[in-house]
Amino acid sequence: MPDLSILGQHLLNGVLIGCAYALIAIGLTMIFGVMNIANFAHGEFYMMGGFAAFYLVSLLKLNYFIALPMAVVLVVILAIVIQQVVFKRLRDAPVMTTTLVTIGLSLLLEHLALLLWGPQPQAVPTPFPTRPFSFFGIYTTPLYLFSMAVTAALIVVGHVLIQRTRMGKAMRATFQNREAAALVGVRIDRVYLYAFTFGAALAAAAGAVLGGFIPVEPTMGGIATLKAFVVVILGGMGSFVGAIVGGLLLGLAEALGAGYFSTGWKDAIGFVAVILLLLFRPDGLFKRA
Amino acid sequence: MKLKLCLAAFAFSFANAAAAQETVKIGVVQPLTGPVAYDGNIYVSTIRMLVDDLNAKGGVLRKKIELVVEDGACNPAQSVNAAEKLVTRDKVAALLGAFCSTSTAAMMEVARKHKIPHVTGISTAAQLTEQNNPYFFRAVATTPMMGAAFGGELPAAVKGKRFAFLVINDDWGRTMVSSYPKPIERAGGQIVGTEFFQSSELQFLPYITKIKSSNPDAIILAANTQHAVALSKQIRELGITAPLVGEGSWTSDSYLKLAGPASEGVYGLAEYVYTVTNPINEAFVKMSRDKLKENPSKYAGAAHNGIHIMVDAIRRAGAADPEKIREALTQTNYNGLVGNIRFDAKNQAYGQDVYLALIKNGVPEVVKTARIAKP
Repeated sequence: MPDLSILGQHLLNGVLIGCAYALIAIGLTMIFGVMNIANFAHGEFYMMGGFAAFYLVSLLKLNYFIALPMAVVLVVILAIVIQQVVFKRLRDAPVMTTTLVTIGLSLLLEHLALLLWGPQPQAVPTPFPTRPFSFFGIYTTPLYLFSMAVTAALIVVGHVLIQRTRMGKAMRATFQNREAAALVGVRIDRVYLYAFTFGAALAAAAGAVLGGFIPVEPTMGGIATLKAFVVVILGGMGSFVGAIVGGLLLGLAEALGAGYFSTGWKDAIGFVAVILLLLFRPDGLFKRA
Repeated sequence: MKLKLCLAAFAFSFANAAAAQETVKIGVVQPLTGPVAYDGNIYVSTIRMLVDDLNAKGGVLRKKIELVVEDGACNPAQSVNAAEKLVTRDKVAALLGAFCSTSTAAMMEVARKHKIPHVTGISTAAQLTEQNNPYFFRAVATTPMMGAAFGGELPAAVKGKRFAFLVINDDWGRTMVSSYPKPIERAGGQIVGTEFFQSSELQFLPYITKIKSSNPDAIILAANTQHAVALSKQIRELGITAPLVGEGSWTSDSYLKLAGPASEGVYGLAEYVYTVTNPINEAFVKMSRDKLKENPSKYAGAAHNGIHIMVDAIRRAGAADPEKIREALTQTNYNGLVGNIRFDAKNQAYGQDVYLALIKNGVPEVVKTARIAKP
């Protein structure tokens, strides 16, 4: 059944990319939900994660499995600096101000990457064999399966952290009502710092892992930000579960839409869905918790 | 302090005036940022190296050549601004660039307005030389010319009949899809699928899966470095073993290094390949390896053609006068890197060689050479 195997291939592609979309979008939705910042620089953390992993593995010759978490740590340090230097000062600024700042930040980081590392695309070297293997006519590689496993695991870890830890509780409280949370003793500054760096860490992890098969280059963050915004609006601004479901939905819709409708419409599918959703269900598929 | 500044400005203006008398200024617009920044930077580093070499050999008209480089970012508006700045502020005598056809189309109108000769060595969209712009020259074969030269050879070269296109969604990709099928079909082949991807795309799994369902014997691609790397890896990762035939960066060092084993057995259709054997190319490859630490790509080849054709015209014009340079350019009969180049009545280059190269052990070997006929 060649047609079924093609369908299976589209579904597998969709889940692989959908997990990555979800991982990037979770951070974006958290930063929006908790801090009320529409972070247009979010894709740049994804890009930085890719470059960090590339340099750690290929230049410092670090073991791949050590380099991945280290790349995330490096990006977290950058995120802490950005939070403390920029966004801490803008805590009470109007949304327009912070949005413009994130757009500026995105340009700054992209061009910094261009200046520091040059425009050439890079690939994170991985220890996995590149030869694909197949089951029922569906092809995949160990790296694809590893990426899917890591992104899925991080999504679960993120969910547990938000639902089960004290800090997660504090984040949810801040998300519901900042003043009330502050009144009962939640340290807002610290919650902001955690939300921002946690979101950056997830995006960086996505960049580091996907860097094995999607080229890492300075302009890759822009499209990632756009896709993540589509996911966040689909799932509902600030909704963690919405980001996960939205990411998978977008990944699958793109894969199946491109496969059975037209590849020319691949990017349009997500944006058309967003327009329809904003018209008929403006709070997203999942209402704010 | 103020006095010092004044003095400095004064001295600087004198230095500028003196320099203006001693140099022939050539303006270059290339994408140094944006989606094709990598290949644009290769062009610029190569042309700087070549100008240093020309200047060491005495320059042109007993003056030094001075390059003024601006970033066009593959963006028509920015490329126009860059060209305007080069012409009105830097007073260049000639222009080279841009990269993307849409940017070049915008920039050539600046050249027409200010009557400055303008040569591109990269932009291949066919309509550029159909604008009746006497100041614009194209020193590279267009995609239809490449298609006419090689389309008919492909079924025999890849030993297959079923071809699928997976090309970038711009002038270049669209022109490719309109100009290759006819010669392929005449040679007994058939087209079984056509897909376009956006330039922002780096994840091609849905496209590749769709192509796979049409079961082609070979896939024809139009892509620059970052797309070519992602495409060839992901095509192999989804288990397609059909040969790839690519226009674009498929024979460049950066592609070969980044794509690694995925580049084996890829066919590159190129206006220049560094393994071409002629004395001019051998000297060029040696210089590139010494100074830039890499084998020249086709964009480096375009820089070589562009600057030499321009300097040759300035030499024959006998003065750094834009109108005289333009006249000299129309009489071009230049023997260079890829053979003889002349311009036809529409200022389109012809007579040069183009190449079909097969990647073997990371080296592009020329398997077929064709000559661009006079249009």
